[in-house]
Amino acid sequence: MGMTKIEAIIQPSKLEPAKEALLEIGVEGMTIIEVRGHGRQKGHTEIYRGREYTVDLLPKIKLELVLSDELVDRAVQTIISVTRTGRIGDGKIFLSRIDEAIRIRNEERGVSAL
Amino acid sequence: MSVVFSSGEVRERYESGLAALRREFDYSGNGVAVVSGRTALVDDVVLTCYNQLVEKEIVPPNCVSIVALGGYGRGSLLPHSDVDLLFLFRDGKHEAAYKDQLSQIYLDLWDLKIRASATARTVVECGKLDLENPEFTVSLLDSRFLIGDRELFDEVRNKVLPALMRKSGTALMNLVCQSARTRHAKYANTIYHLEPQVKEGPGGLRDYNLANWLALAKSFRASGLWPAPESLFRFPLRAELNSAFDFLVSVRCFLHYRNGRDDNQLSWEAQDAAAEKGIGAPSVSIQPAQWMREYFRNARTIHGACLQLMDDAMRTPASLLDKLRGIPRRATGTKSDAALSTILQLENEPSWKTALAIFQRMALEPLQLSVDAQRLLRASASQFASASAKPAWPELSPILVGRFAGSALRAMRDSGYLDVLISELKLIDALVIRDYFHRYTVDEHSILTIDTLHGLRSSESEWAQRFAEVLDELDKPEVLYLALLLHDVGKGVEGEDHVVGSLRIAKQVLVRLNLDPQDQDTVLFLIRSHLEMSASMRRDIFDSKVIGALAAKVETPEPLKMLTLLTYADISSVNPEAMTDWKAETLWHLYASTANFLNRHVDEAIVHGTLDSDASGKFHSFPPQLAKQMQPFLQGLPQRYLKIYSPEQIVQHFSLFSKLQHGGVELSLLPDRDLYELTIVAADKAGLFATIAGALSASGMEIVKANAFSNSSGVAVDCFYFKDRFRTLDLNASEHEQLKEKIARILRGERSLDELIRSRSGLRRSTTPKVQIETRILLENESSTHNTVLEVVAQDRPGLLYQIAQCLMQLGCNIEIALIETEGEMALDVFYLTVDGRKLSIEMHNRLREELQEKLGDDLA
Repeated sequence: MGMTKIEAIIQPSKLEPAKEALLEIGVEGMTIIEVRGHGRQKGHTEIYRGREYTVDLLPKIKLELVLSDELVDRAVQTIISVTRTGRIGDGKIFLSRIDEAIRIRNEERGVSAL
Repeated sequence: MSVVFSSGEVRERYESGLAALRREFDYSGNGVAVVSGRTALVDDVVLTCYNQLVEKEIVPPNCVSIVALGGYGRGSLLPHSDVDLLFLFRDGKHEAAYKDQLSQIYLDLWDLKIRASATARTVVECGKLDLENPEFTVSLLDSRFLIGDRELFDEVRNKVLPALMRKSGTALMNLVCQSARTRHAKYANTIYHLEPQVKEGPGGLRDYNLANWLALAKSFRASGLWPAPESLFRFPLRAELNSAFDFLVSVRCFLHYRNGRDDNQLSWEAQDAAAEKGIGAPSVSIQPAQWMREYFRNARTIHGACLQLMDDAMRTPASLLDKLRGIPRRATGTKSDAALSTILQLENEPSWKTALAIFQRMALEPLQLSVDAQRLLRASASQFASASAKPAWPELSPILVGRFAGSALRAMRDSGYLDVLISELKLIDALVIRDYFHRYTVDEHSILTIDTLHGLRSSESEWAQRFAEVLDELDKPEVLYLALLLHDVGKGVEGEDHVVGSLRIAKQVLVRLNLDPQDQDTVLFLIRSHLEMSASMRRDIFDSKVIGALAAKVETPEPLKMLTLLTYADISSVNPEAMTDWKAETLWHLYASTANFLNRHVDEAIVHGTLDSDASGKFHSFPPQLAKQMQPFLQGLPQRYLKIYSPEQIVQHFSLFSKLQHGGVELSLLPDRDLYELTIVAADKAGLFATIAGALSASGMEIVKANAFSNSSGVAVDCFYFKDRFRTLDLNASEHEQLKEKIARILRGERSLDELIRSRSGLRRSTTPKVQIETRILLENESSTHNTVLEVVAQDRPGLLYQIAQCLMQLGCNIEIALIETEGEMALDVFYLTVDGRKLSIEMHNRLREELQEKLGDDLA
């Protein structure tokens, strides 16, 4: 059974719903990283006390999860369904193949190590 | 491969000895017997190995002195600790001739699964301080002769090492202290970790050893002789340290046996198991939380002794005793300076005032209590248990706002005084609440939040600097610090949501402390809302609905500032990595957006019809019919008005309103902390605000803050808060009435403002600004439904507000609402404007902007 890494860049506000929805379909583990970035979505400017504060790189959350191939489509659909608002800035999902997974505690390998 | 042990007899003796120690420990839980027992077993192995090497003529007798170092030297070998050996040679020739043969001992130890490390040195080499490896010289302080040439060992012990200590002892101890400081910093300088490191962490056994080295070096420096180990510390500290050592050694033995290796992390699971077995404790089985309190009590003893000796060794900061001599008499009652320095030693019952003067001083300077002072304070605290029944806010408040409040609060906690002042804090004393984010006990986390805010100003982080500015703007920071101290107290109550519990407990604390009712409300609001901004940060902070919802909860800028700072401190104090730049930036934008929202939407929520229950509740201490009577006055005023003024102020405004006659003006002038508050109730008309601002400025008053609102019937309530720059009002009581009369006459048109301005020099700049503030003008029609919002940020200077208001008046702008603030040298003025009842046109925007820029720029030039 093959393995795929899902990297999803999402809005911070969508983290909790995404986590809950993924848990519901059986995805228990994931890595969450606080990141900044932008695609076509432009930055945000706030004028506070007459001074402009521009956020060129908007705060985003990156979810990383490695799954057995059979779960990947459902996980991707789940992420899309809970994070999509239809507006620019909803984020992106990247998929890549994983050659091997090793559980450090007992050196278990492959899908069973996930 | 061993060449010495052919029979396996030594192995059997060693292994059966270890097994016996383990059985004994399982039965007694006493680690002291284990560490001395294992030391004896390893001694037996080393001695047997050496004797066999000599018997087999592999080495000649007395070619070396074999010395135990470190923990092995101290006779405290834990079950899985390393064994440090020194092969001490007379000279390099002996070393070259016998070093390899002696390594058999080292190999045999490894064959017995004893992790040994051996160092070879000549006598001369032992007399040199290696700055890159001071640990070796330190380890010589714990050296113990095992076998071989006793004279070599005695030469090092009695001549070489004393000479080195005389020459470089201070430098050596400084190096050791610096290393300890780095180690302590790694553990955030606190013993109160949820999963403490029993060896390396503050208050761990490494600190116990350090305290012994420092005490030994100090004694040697004084007498030139090695002191007897039992004389290193005076009674009762000696007994306390011995007891703490026994406890921690037992805990470490337990951890070594449990983990099967030299792992000294006291994990939650290990805490449960240790508590169940009653490790180190007198009773057989106790609750984990109670057992951990026992752990912290012992760690605190070691940490306190260690810090004091480090302080002695490094000579900074100065000792508490020296500092106390400088406490002014008025702060410590009638005690003389001489009595002060010894008061805690001489009197069984140090006065309440003296104890609090110590803590207040600690909050202002980087001081630490000596262990003796801690003990005396602890002993005295119990005698003041009844003090919790009397209001103590005046004593506690200055401690909370001191730069070193955290240090003072820790001293108060450790001595029991904090419990005397706020007995409810016992609920979270050294309390371990297990979650995967928090690193410290609940009480330590709470004190760390206060440390975090006090540290903002000295932080180099861009975000910390911005939050520091917000902190500097608070009117009553002590209220925020109290909220931080109490925000998690509910975690000490099992089975109750901690926010609910904290609120319930805080209510009784605040009443007992006799806080001003408004301050009580603020503390309760902050506790109730202390997770709100964290929750908002998980939403879309660029969504105006999210910002609007938060603004609706905080209602006015001051609570927003406090809640922002509380959130920053709370997250930062979870663990050292919790407040990332990412989170700090998100929090900052949430704060800035909400602050803007609050300033630009004041006119959206106004008082309509009958007051809601919140607003009515505000007047509960007044006759019930009053709220109803005030309806015509309150009708149409922004809700912000009800939030920023106390019930007493509103009732006073109503009283002025009730006296108001057609075309008249009613004034009141009252002192307000270090400012004066001038309230004017009058029929709203063009130029009213500008006229008052001008009259005050021309009278030499420096306007710091102002709010101007008007109700549906066209009555304006304008409040100006100003500094009496020339102390005219302070020094002449009659001036109060004269100032009021002067302003009333100008407002009634009976006296000329221009004339007054010409006759006074009040509008001239009095001082050169320390910080240059660039004038910035923002005009926008989007935020408010009915008004144009004008924001002016400018260098504060006498007469500024009058200049702006005059400019608005000349262009026919009506000020519907004004919110005037001064932060340091920055004036932050927000106006809600209309012209003929409508928002300003874009042409008018441009005209107004140009006029203001010209007027304010001219003045600056």
